[in-house]
Amino acid sequence: MILTILTFLPIAGALCLLFIPREEEGLHRGIALGTALATFFWSLRLLPDFDTGGFNHVVDSEWVPKLGIHYHMGVDGISLWLVMLTTFLMPIVLLSTYSSITKKVREFMVAVLVLEAGMIGTFLALDMFLFYVFWEIMLIPMYFIIGIWGGDRRLYAAIKFVLYTMVGSLLMIVAILYLYVKHHELTQVWSFDYFALSKVALGRHEELYCFLAFALAFCIKVPLFPFHTWLPDAHVEAPTAGSVLLAAVMLKFGTYGLLRYAIPLFPHAFVVCAPYLATLSVIGIIYGSLVAFAQTDIKKMIAYSSVAHLAFVVLGLAMWNAKSVDGAVYQMLAHGISTGGLFLCIGALYERRHTRKLDEYGGIATIMPRFFAIFLIITLASVGLPALSGFVGEFLILLGSFTASKSWAAAGLPLMVPHHTTLYAFLATTGVILSAVYMLYLFQRVMFGPLSNARNRDLKDLSAREVVIFIPMVVMAFWLGIYPSTFLTGIDPAVQRTIAEFKAKQEASGDVAKIVHVTETGR
Amino acid sequence: MSFELGDLSYALPILVLVVGGLLLLLMEAFSTGRSRAYLVPMTVLVVLASIAADVSVWSQVGEGGHSIMSGMLEIDRLSLFANAIFLTACGLTALLAGAYMQEHRFEFGEFYALIVFATAGMMILAAASDMVSIFLGLEIMSLAVYVLTGSWRRSPKSSEGAMKYFLVGSVASAVLLYGMALIYGAVGSTSLQAIANSKGAYVEPIFIIGLLLVLTAFAFKIAAVPFHMWAPDAYEGAPTPVTGFMAAGVKAAAFVILIRMCGTAFSRSELALGSTGWVSILKWVAVITMTFGNLAALRQENIKRLLAYSSVSHAGYLLIGLIATATVGNEARGPLLYYLAAYTFTTMGAFGVVAWLGRHGDERLQLDDWAGLAAKHPAAALAMTIFMLSLGGVPPTAGFFGKFYLFRAALGRADLTWLVVIAVLNSVVSVYYYLRVVTTMYFREPARESSPLQSRSVTAALVLAVIGTLLIGILPGWLVETASSALLGS
Repeated sequence: MILTILTFLPIAGALCLLFIPREEEGLHRGIALGTALATFFWSLRLLPDFDTGGFNHVVDSEWVPKLGIHYHMGVDGISLWLVMLTTFLMPIVLLSTYSSITKKVREFMVAVLVLEAGMIGTFLALDMFLFYVFWEIMLIPMYFIIGIWGGDRRLYAAIKFVLYTMVGSLLMIVAILYLYVKHHELTQVWSFDYFALSKVALGRHEELYCFLAFALAFCIKVPLFPFHTWLPDAHVEAPTAGSVLLAAVMLKFGTYGLLRYAIPLFPHAFVVCAPYLATLSVIGIIYGSLVAFAQTDIKKMIAYSSVAHLAFVVLGLAMWNAKSVDGAVYQMLAHGISTGGLFLCIGALYERRHTRKLDEYGGIATIMPRFFAIFLIITLASVGLPALSGFVGEFLILLGSFTASKSWAAAGLPLMVPHHTTLYAFLATTGVILSAVYMLYLFQRVMFGPLSNARNRDLKDLSAREVVIFIPMVVMAFWLGIYPSTFLTGIDPAVQRTIAEFKAKQEASGDVAKIVHVTETGR
Repeated sequence: MSFELGDLSYALPILVLVVGGLLLLLMEAFSTGRSRAYLVPMTVLVVLASIAADVSVWSQVGEGGHSIMSGMLEIDRLSLFANAIFLTACGLTALLAGAYMQEHRFEFGEFYALIVFATAGMMILAAASDMVSIFLGLEIMSLAVYVLTGSWRRSPKSSEGAMKYFLVGSVASAVLLYGMALIYGAVGSTSLQAIANSKGAYVEPIFIIGLLLVLTAFAFKIAAVPFHMWAPDAYEGAPTPVTGFMAAGVKAAAFVILIRMCGTAFSRSELALGSTGWVSILKWVAVITMTFGNLAALRQENIKRLLAYSSVSHAGYLLIGLIATATVGNEARGPLLYYLAAYTFTTMGAFGVVAWLGRHGDERLQLDDWAGLAAKHPAAALAMTIFMLSLGGVPPTAGFFGKFYLFRAALGRADLTWLVVIAVLNSVVSVYYYLRVVTTMYFREPARESSPLQSRSVTAALVLAVIGTLLIGILPGWLVETASSALLGS
């Protein structure tokens, strides 16, 4: 029941908004913010007595009995913190729109709240049909957010965003259906249940195709090089709030999907594809960093930095050992805070100057001291300075990658020289250095130097409202950096369990499709 | 096999419509004054009465079905479920048409009687278990729809569309008759059941040719490529409520009789499967229909032509369902019926919004006329968005669940997987042009002032269509149960 309320509370808020006349903008903002805050406080109820061993607060009732579709939700250590990240960011994002969104306020608030419901539902779903429905529901509000409140090329960006995601997700639904039909063939039971479908070990060939269909959907969402081209367009054209939600939460569905669905469901196919995934992510890290460095548009720069950071997460998943996967999940949270914060910072600048061109800025530090402090902390968090959020995740991923050779061999992954894990780790490390280069370059160009541009002279420092927006982000950046145990105690057991089930399934499956019994911890 | 008076109770839904249609015709003939608006509630009343009769017969026939009129009609749950689809389309068309005809100044009193007769024809077609009654049902339906297409007499496009539709339709009827004659020549009977039971006849070339001709005739009716040429012109020219009726009702009727024929007369695996079976032919027709329909729709600037090509592509998806009935069997009939129901609500709604927007003989069909609609008319724009998302197959709408349910059935056989993959990729293409409509309404600045129809019955039709689209999309359970129990009798 907790999870149902958590998912549908934002929808209830959105419905309320529809019954209030559109002129009452203040009321719309207030109700939306109130709903988001209520959702956040409600999500805090997940924390006490959280059983890290499996899924909590499971709800399971029939939806379409004839087809075995259930309304099945649950939260484990991996989804817990991602849900918390979503509910945590939502009030902040809504607060940040008080000055930036001035037209069609009601529609904007409705779109954001529906988006929130979709995102929470996607993280919580344990029925593949339900997962797919929420996954697609997220798409439409984001399409409107980019298309109505976006920049000049918003039409192009919005449609590109939808079509890219659609290609992947529609192939994924075919794979889901394939798995579902196979499950029925083997057990005579129709079910979309995640645990039931987890037990289906497909034959080698079909498994590979299904994995590719899933992986394509998730890699587009991540976005992994070379599927990343929608991201810079979407980010640049989206309003600040859209960019924050896109970067901080929506991209995580790609990596979350790989970890929860694509990899554990198809272990053999993953073993075959892991070197390619790792190679693409290393390319993504280096390519994203280099391209970010070449940008003159600040938002595009952050967008490409997201490509690089998320590629780090995929690398952690591809290495597939407890350390690297812990790191990957941790990096998802850290990236949510740091990149979300960066987009909020750019948003604050943009509201004042209405330009994102790097050349237009310079010397801002002297006239906006509060902004200086906050931007500095968030930049350093993004770079991965120790004691700030970015460090822990990157460190764990690199540690996991350097020591991955053993676990790769144990998992049956090929260890040829070009695919040697140490090489990946080495190349990824250069990405860390590159990220420091472009982020510090960005910071320096904006903040330091002479205040040469006359239009920058009378910029106002952050208002009280904006400080309220940034304080929670800064606090979380420090918290994630200084005391990772808060989060890792939940993440680690869930990751260990996922890896153990992966191994059990991998060992049990063979050339033909069959049902295997992996340890079931769901109920 | 003889005529019994008791049989009539099974034909009650059809009889109610025929009698109701005659009454409507008489009321029109004897009415004084100019306005014909009062015929709308009358038509809705007739439709509701027929729905009530349909529901009562549903519980009466049970699982098995009941053969009436000396074996001419088979009243089973398949036909009764289909009746509900036709009646929905008919009722929504009547609600839309009143204000539409008034606005465009061609109050055509026989309109209501004609849609009711067309619906009766669809019901006969859906229940037909003999080639004679198939032809009879098809002609009753088609003749009425030809007239309806041309009913806007002062519009040259309407006449053009009607003429094309009539000529092509007549050719299709001729082809159908020819095919039936050949099949009769091979088997010696016109009864579908007798054809199914005939020994050995099904391998005779004359029979195969007859079968192909029959399928071709229905390919015309469902506007499958390459027999779709008439569709964009007829759809564009017809008064918009009639376009919706054609897209939803006529297509559904043709598909239901295809389900029946493929499930009885042509069901033998020697006939269906194999390298020259109708399944392998329909597979390619489905692929070409989907792909061509979607690609052609991409470039349309006229909303009715866009929806016409979208309707062509939906015929392609539906053909996958039909193919699945041959290989998977009964399991695939439910999805097909569900899809037709979902498509009826959605497409009637979409054409309803199109009908609602036009004013004074100017239909505002160009996409540019839709720019910025959301600013002035948020509710209508939201409704259109829901219909577009449903046609594109985005959850939580009926269109999504329909596609999902259909593909699930098709994946029951591994050799149809590639067909599903092609259909899915086609859906991505279709999302582009459906979203183009949404994009135009929401993301562009208003270009022209619009003062759409102010009519309670039109609003009611749109609200019903939205509720239908969302309700069976979010809670598909009961409709899935009902559709999958709507089996062929005997």
